[in-house]
Amino acid sequence: MEKKEKTIDIIKQERKVSPQVLEDRKTYSRNRKAIMEALKAGPKTIPQVAAETQLSLPDATYFMMALFKFGDVVVESLDDMDEYYFYELKKK
Amino acid sequence: MTDNQNAAATCLDETQFDVMVIGAGIAGAESALKLGDMGYKVLLVEKEPSIGGKMILLSKVFPTLDCAACITTPKVSETARHPNITIHTLTEVETIQRNSDRHFSVQLNKKPRYVVEKDCTGCQECENVCPVITKDQFQFNLTARKAVYIPFNIANPRIALIDIENCMLCGACEKACPSNCIDFTQKEQQLQITAKSVIVATGFKLFDPISIERYGYGRYKNVITSMQMERELAPTRPFNNVLRPSDGKIPDKIAYVFCTGSRDHTVGNPICSQVCCMYSTKQAQLLMGALPMADISLYYINIRAFGKGYNEFYLQAKDMGANYVKGKIGKITEKENGNLILRFEDILTGKVTEKEHDMVVLSVGLLANPAITKVFKGEKLELDPINYVQQPNMLQSPAQTSLEGVFVAGTATGPMDIPDTIMSAGAAATETSSYLKRLS
Repeated sequence: MEKKEKTIDIIKQERKVSPQVLEDRKTYSRNRKAIMEALKAGPKTIPQVAAETQLSLPDATYFMMALFKFGDVVVESLDDMDEYYFYELKKK
Repeated sequence: MTDNQNAAATCLDETQFDVMVIGAGIAGAESALKLGDMGYKVLLVEKEPSIGGKMILLSKVFPTLDCAACITTPKVSETARHPNITIHTLTEVETIQRNSDRHFSVQLNKKPRYVVEKDCTGCQECENVCPVITKDQFQFNLTARKAVYIPFNIANPRIALIDIENCMLCGACEKACPSNCIDFTQKEQQLQITAKSVIVATGFKLFDPISIERYGYGRYKNVITSMQMERELAPTRPFNNVLRPSDGKIPDKIAYVFCTGSRDHTVGNPICSQVCCMYSTKQAQLLMGALPMADISLYYINIRAFGKGYNEFYLQAKDMGANYVKGKIGKITEKENGNLILRFEDILTGKVTEKEHDMVVLSVGLLANPAITKVFKGEKLELDPINYVQQPNMLQSPAQTSLEGVFVAGTATGPMDIPDTIMSAGAAATETSSYLKRLS
């Protein structure tokens, strides 16, 4: 494959990144790390992860589902009440 | 023929068309395919990064419960590969002006993908390294996507694009791309084409229930729209199962609120949306399959099951255990645990009653999408009183519009189901072909 010049440096001269994008990136990075850390000890449900990470339940759901989509976590099993799934880190 | 093969649009062949179809949903694609098969040169213009419209995002279709993607993807694929069809995605029509020779001069605005289309293999290596997430509009905000992304698994073309507004310009995607196809120097392109005729297949907009405050949509996480539930039920769903967005719980008492934003003068949409009763009934059947222990209650004003096999489909849902309640919802309130209290008037008894559910689905209506009228310069594309494209000769020539040489297909004319959309698209192709023969 022919190697070409990197174009990112060109657009960087024309555009500025909005502070909101940078803030969102920090939030994602922080929450991803917290969820991954919480799951290191073993599979957990979303309410258990929320309690451990201090995330709100909707935020814990949103970020857990994002990590599920991006392949960082997988479903382990369903709890005894058939209400919540346990999620665990994907073995890599 | 893909975007890649004709993006430059420089030679005569790529700027002169028999027909321009605006909108590559199922109506536009069907019209384009029919005309392409007849030998006409068709330009299909789509503002989204993928063709397939809303149908490609559905779970299954009623009343047959066939997989929507299984029906749509072969058609979309056939459209993309057709030698007589040129497709421009991420492209909007800016102006349409009739020339003295009765042909139309069209100006198109093609937005940059920041990805060289012909080189992208859809490997998603760029997505893997992108550090930024934002809400995934193709999952109706239920989950996230990266700033560089492929819209959805069955997108066509299945190539990446960069959401530059949410990109932090770190360059990780460009570094990781094995085919060197990331190109941040791409700019908007103004394309000029001519077409002998136009088909408007711009579809509909979904009603946004945020304007009905008493339903709590946008405030209560477990009040979702029917399109969000459609995604939860689809094979390419945002979650691992049907779950509550508030806490990931499997819901076991789900309510549907029919006629949200349709048959309602207070929200400016007095007409029936035609499909809500049946898509809700379909979703109820699918939910009873996915969650066998769940109670599904459907709050309706009237059931409109008018199509072939529709009434039987409705009766089948009742036989399966769906609980149809003839009731009008006054208000939804949220409990601390995320459950929802529905306050409604039971129309049969006249009593005001309350019932608790752990998830509420608003069966949102269809709205007209009249923005296309603004692009016609020097003449006016007439709309009906509800803002759909007017059909001046609906019984004898349903695709005819107020403008000679401009035809209409699908839900741009009004709410309709998928079989009617396909028939409407066929009619538009036939009438366009007849017009082109008269013109030559």
